[in-house]
Amino acid sequence: MKSKLLEHLAGIAFVTFALLAALWVITIASGTAQRKQQAGMERFGDLSFIDFNNPFERALLRDVINIYYPGRSDRNDSLYNAIVKYKQKEFADKLQETHVAEGLSLQKIIEILGMYVNFFIIFVLVMVLTYYGVQTMAVFRFAYKKRRALSPASSASRKIQRMVIDFLAGLGTLLLFCPAYVIAYSIRTEFNTDTVVFMVLLGVISNGVLITYANKFYSFLVAESRKGYVDTAIVKNMNAGYRFHSADGIPISSILNPVKKFKGHVFDHIFRNARFQYLSTIKEQASFLITGLIIIEMALNIHGHLNYEMLRQLLYKNYSIVVVMILLIFYTVKMTDIFTDYLIHRENMKYENTNQ
Amino acid sequence: MMKFIRSKDTRWLSIWVLSTLAVWIWDIVFLNKPALHKVFNGFFNTFIIAILVVVFTLILGWMVTVLLHALQSRTNRAPYLAVTFLMNLIRSIPQIVGILFAYVGITLLVAGSVITSKALVFIIMAISMSLFIFLELVDLMRDRIDHFTKLDFYSAMRVCGIPERRVVNFDILWKNSRLHIQNKLIAVLGYAVFLQCSVDFIISVGLSTEVNEVTLPTTLGSLLAKIDSKQDILAIGYTLTHPGYTGHLFFEHLQGMTVAFLIVFSLVSIYHIANGYAERHRL
Amino acid sequence: MSTAHYSVIIASKGRTIAAVDDFSVVRNEISFLFGESGIGKSMLCKAIYGLLDPEELHITVNNMPYRAYLNSPETRGVKQSSFFVFQEPSSHLYPLTRITGQLREGSIAGSAGEEEILSRLWKTADSAKLKGILDVYPKPYRPSGGEKQRILLAMAFKKIALLATAETILPTFFVFDEPTGSLDNNYRNLFLGFLFEEYRKKPFTAMIITHDYSIISEVYEHHNSLIDKIHYKELTRIEEGRVRLHDFSPDDYLSWLRQTKTHRPMSAAPAGEVVRVAPEFRIFGHDHRICRDAARTQTVDLVIRRGEMVYVKAPSGVGKTTLAKIIMGLYRPDTFSMTLCGRAVTEATQRSFFEQEIWGRRAGMVFQHADEALDLEATVAETFEGLPLGHKLTHEELDRSLAELFEGGVTEAFLAKKAKFLSGGQKQRLNLLRTIILHPDLIILDEPLNGLDFESVRKIIAILEEKRKSGSALLMISHNEEIFDALVDEEHCYYLS
Repeated sequence: MKSKLLEHLAGIAFVTFALLAALWVITIASGTAQRKQQAGMERFGDLSFIDFNNPFERALLRDVINIYYPGRSDRNDSLYNAIVKYKQKEFADKLQETHVAEGLSLQKIIEILGMYVNFFIIFVLVMVLTYYGVQTMAVFRFAYKKRRALSPASSASRKIQRMVIDFLAGLGTLLLFCPAYVIAYSIRTEFNTDTVVFMVLLGVISNGVLITYANKFYSFLVAESRKGYVDTAIVKNMNAGYRFHSADGIPISSILNPVKKFKGHVFDHIFRNARFQYLSTIKEQASFLITGLIIIEMALNIHGHLNYEMLRQLLYKNYSIVVVMILLIFYTVKMTDIFTDYLIHRENMKYENTNQ
Repeated sequence: MMKFIRSKDTRWLSIWVLSTLAVWIWDIVFLNKPALHKVFNGFFNTFIIAILVVVFTLILGWMVTVLLHALQSRTNRAPYLAVTFLMNLIRSIPQIVGILFAYVGITLLVAGSVITSKALVFIIMAISMSLFIFLELVDLMRDRIDHFTKLDFYSAMRVCGIPERRVVNFDILWKNSRLHIQNKLIAVLGYAVFLQCSVDFIISVGLSTEVNEVTLPTTLGSLLAKIDSKQDILAIGYTLTHPGYTGHLFFEHLQGMTVAFLIVFSLVSIYHIANGYAERHRL
Repeated sequence: MSTAHYSVIIASKGRTIAAVDDFSVVRNEISFLFGESGIGKSMLCKAIYGLLDPEELHITVNNMPYRAYLNSPETRGVKQSSFFVFQEPSSHLYPLTRITGQLREGSIAGSAGEEEILSRLWKTADSAKLKGILDVYPKPYRPSGGEKQRILLAMAFKKIALLATAETILPTFFVFDEPTGSLDNNYRNLFLGFLFEEYRKKPFTAMIITHDYSIISEVYEHHNSLIDKIHYKELTRIEEGRVRLHDFSPDDYLSWLRQTKTHRPMSAAPAGEVVRVAPEFRIFGHDHRICRDAARTQTVDLVIRRGEMVYVKAPSGVGKTTLAKIIMGLYRPDTFSMTLCGRAVTEATQRSFFEQEIWGRRAGMVFQHADEALDLEATVAETFEGLPLGHKLTHEELDRSLAELFEGGVTEAFLAKKAKFLSGGQKQRLNLLRTIILHPDLIILDEPLNGLDFESVRKIIAILEEKRKSGSALLMISHNEEIFDALVDEEHCYYLS
C-alpha cells in the first residue's frame, strides 16, 4: 500500500508541476507572439484622425497609402488589410476584456472551489448509487436467469409473460445507453433539468455506465458460478435454488438490501468473490463516471457548474482558470484511486492469514 | 442462417445493420435532401473515425504491451517504471478532458493551415482519441501475458528454445488471446462512438466560435447539437406529455430523431455484440 | 450385487463431448475408474451425480432430458447423501472463508467426529498443529496441495459419517476424482485404509477416478479381504466423443510390472557426465539436500551420464519440480552449484546463459501438465514451429517422428488438428515429442506418466528407454514410485529432502 500511495503522490506532484509549467509556457509564449504580431502595427493603429467605422474614411486611407507608395498595389493592399484587421482585433479584445477576460483572483478561486465542492458531492452521490445499482441489477439478473434456467416456461402465457419482460428490459437498456444530453434535451421542456437531483439521476442512469458495470459484475458472477468451490458448496448441500419465495432460494429483500447477504446459500460464496474482484474496477468506473459528469455539465450548459465553467473559460482563453479546474478534477481521480487501492488493500489483508 | 441468428453477437449485428438500413430507407422517402446528406455525412464520418480509433488502439496497444514485456524482464527497472508511470498518468486524466484538449489543438492546427487534408484530420482525431483508450487494451493484453507466464505454458515453450517474441506474439497474443482482443476492440468501437459524439456535441454547443464544423468534420454528435436537431429532440419530451404528437416525430422531426437513434441504437447494438461475442467464446 | 446402468450423452454446440452406452456402477461397492485424461471420466461421473449445468450442455441420461433426471427423486436422494471430491483441490476450496468454516457448512455441519477424521488424515493428534493448518484462508501455497486434498477428503468422510447415523442404507454415489493426485504414497495408503475401514462399517457406493495404477498393488497387498467388493474399470475411446466402459484386468498391470522389473537395464558403462549437481542448495528460504539413501542421511552429488536414467524421489511438495526448474534455469536459487554439459552454473548465472546455450540445445524439459505446457490453440504441426532445430522441419521428418508415438499413421487432418482436440494421452505424447525431437543431451521429465492410460504408459516408457539407449541423459521426476522403481535400479535413485 505504501508503494502505491507513493506512486500516486508522485503522480500528483508530477502532473501539478507539469500543468503549472505548461501554463507558464503558454502565458509567456502567447504574450511574445502577440507582441511580435503587433510590432510595427501600433503606429498605424494610432491614426486618430481616421474613423475606422466609416467606410469612406477607410477607402480614403487605402488611397493615401497607394499615393504614398505608388506602383506597389499588392503590398499596399495587404498593409491596408493588416491595419483593418488590427483595429478589429483591438475592438474585439476590448470587448472580451470587459466581459470575459478573467485572472486567477482569490475571489475566483473561492468561486471555483464552491463549484468543485458541488461537483464532488454529485460525484460521490453518483458513485455510491452506481455501486449499489450495479450490484443490485447484476444480482437480480443472475438470480432471474438462473430461475428461468431451472424452470423453463412451459405454458404459452408464461412464454408471453417472459417475452414482455424481455421487451421491457430491452427498452430499459436503450434508455440506459442514451448519452446524457439526449435524455436531458428530450425532457428539457417538460422538466427542470438544472437541479442537483436531476444531475445525480442522469449521472447514474445515462451514458451506459450503470449497464456496462452491471454487466461486468454479472460476468463476474457467472464466472464465479463456474468455479470449483461452487461445486464443493453444492455437494455440501448448501441452498442452491434461485426462486425469490422458496426456502432454498434467495429472497428479493436480500437482493435489494444495500448490505447484501445470502447466508447458507451457494450464492453467498459467488457474490462475495465477485464483489471482491469488482473492487478493482471501481477506479475505472470512477473515471467513466467523471467523464459522464463532465459531459453532462458541459453539454447541458448549466451555469455555475464546474465543467461548464471550464468549457467557458477555455473558450475565453483564461488558461490559468482552466488549469486550476483540470487539476481539481485530476485530484478527484487520484483521490478515488487512492481510496480504491486502500479498499482493495484492506480487503486483501482481511484474508491474509496475518494472525497465523 | 439459423446458427447465425442463434448467436447473440451475430443476431445483434444483423439487427443493427437491418435497423440502420430501415432508417435510411425511411429517411430517403421522408427527409429532405440537404438534411439527408448531412445525416449521412455525419454517420459516415463518425464510423470512419471510430474504426480508425480501433485500428490505432490495436497498433498502440500491441506495441506498448510488447515494449512493457521486454522492459519488465530487464535488470534495469528504470525504463519499465518510467513507462508504467506515464501510463498511469494518462489513466488519471479523464478521457473526455484529454480528447477535448486534443480537438482544440487539432482545430488550431487546421485554422493555422498546418493541416489541410481532410484525411489527415480524421487520422489525427482518431490517434488522439486512441491515446486515451488504448490503455484498456494494454491492460487486457498484459493480463493475458501474465496469465500464461504464471502457467507452465510459457516456461515449457521457452525451455524448448522457442524464442520469446514468438511465444508472446504468436502463442499468447495471437493464438490464445485473439478472441479477447477482438472482443475488446468491439467495445472500443462503441466507446469511440460515444466519446466522439459527446466531444463533438460539447464542442458544437459550447465552443462554437473556437471549434466548429468548418474546422472539424461533421459527426453525429455535432449534428445533434445543431438547433434543428435539438428542436427535434425536444419534441420527444413534448410527446411524453402529449402522446398524440408521437406520429409527427417520424415525419417532421426526422433529422434529430435519426441522429439520436443512430447514436443510441449503435451503442446498444455494439454493447450486445460485444457481450454476445464474449458469451459465445466464453471469454 | 446390484448394478446401476447409465447411458449418457453429453454434447455442446452440436459436438458430442462424451457419450457412453453403458456406464455401470456397482451399488454399494467400490470401483476404481482408469482411462487417459480428457476422455470424460470426471464429466460422466458429474453427469450421473447431477452436477452438470443443463443450460450449458445438452445432456441425456438413460434417454431422459437432464432437467428431468436432476429432478428425479433418486438423483435428489443420491445428492443428499453423497459427496464428490473434486480434482484440483486448490480451486475447490473457497478463498474467502477459513477452512474450519468450510468444514462446517451445509449438510456436513451436523456431522460428528470431525476431530477424529482430521487426526486420522493428518496422522496426528496434535490439535494445535491441525488448528495451524485449518484456521486459515486458503491461499495458493497454503495449505499445501496435499493438505488441501485431505481437507476435501475430510469433507467426504464427514458425509460418510452421516451415513452411519441413518437407520437404512441410503442410495449413495461417492465420487473421488483423483483423490491421491497430490498425496505421497504414505498418505495415499492412509486414505485408502480409512476409506475401506468406513466401508466395512456400512457399505456405500464409491467410484474412485485415478491414473495411479499402483493402487492395485496396495489393494492386493493390504486389503485383500475386500477384493470381491472392489472393481477395476477402464474408459476407452471408440470414436470421437464416444467411449466404452469395460473391466480392467489388474493382472495385466501386475504382470507387466513384474516383467519390467525383471528386464530392467543393467547399470550403464561409465560414459560422459552430462550434469553434476552439488548436494546442497537453497531456494525460497528453504535448504534442500540430495541424498543417496531413503533415510536421507548421506548427501551426494546428483550425477547423470549419457545413456543413464536417473530417478529423483521425494514426498509431494518437497521440491522435485523446483530442482528441475533450477537445473533448467527457470528459478533463481539462493545458493546452488552444478556443472551442466561442461559449463559451471551457480546461483549467479544469468538467465541469458540458459536462453542462449541450454534451452532446446543442450537440455530440454517435459512439463507435468500437457494441457498447460502445450499451446492448445496451435495445430499439431504448429507445435513444432519455432524450435531451434537449425533447419525447418520437413514434412517427412515430422511424419516420421510423430508416427513413432501416434498409432495409425499421421494424416494431414491430424497435423492440422488443434492440440485442444487431442485426447489427454495424445497431448502428453505431443508434449514429450516436442522435447525429444530436439535431441538434447539432457531431458528432464516431470511426471511423464501423468494422465495416461495403461497402454500409453507402456508406450511412453518404451520410447524413453529407446532415448536412453541412444545416449540421452534422462532425469525422471514422478510420484509414481512403483513403476519407476521397477524401471530404474537403486543405484540411479536419489532422494530429495
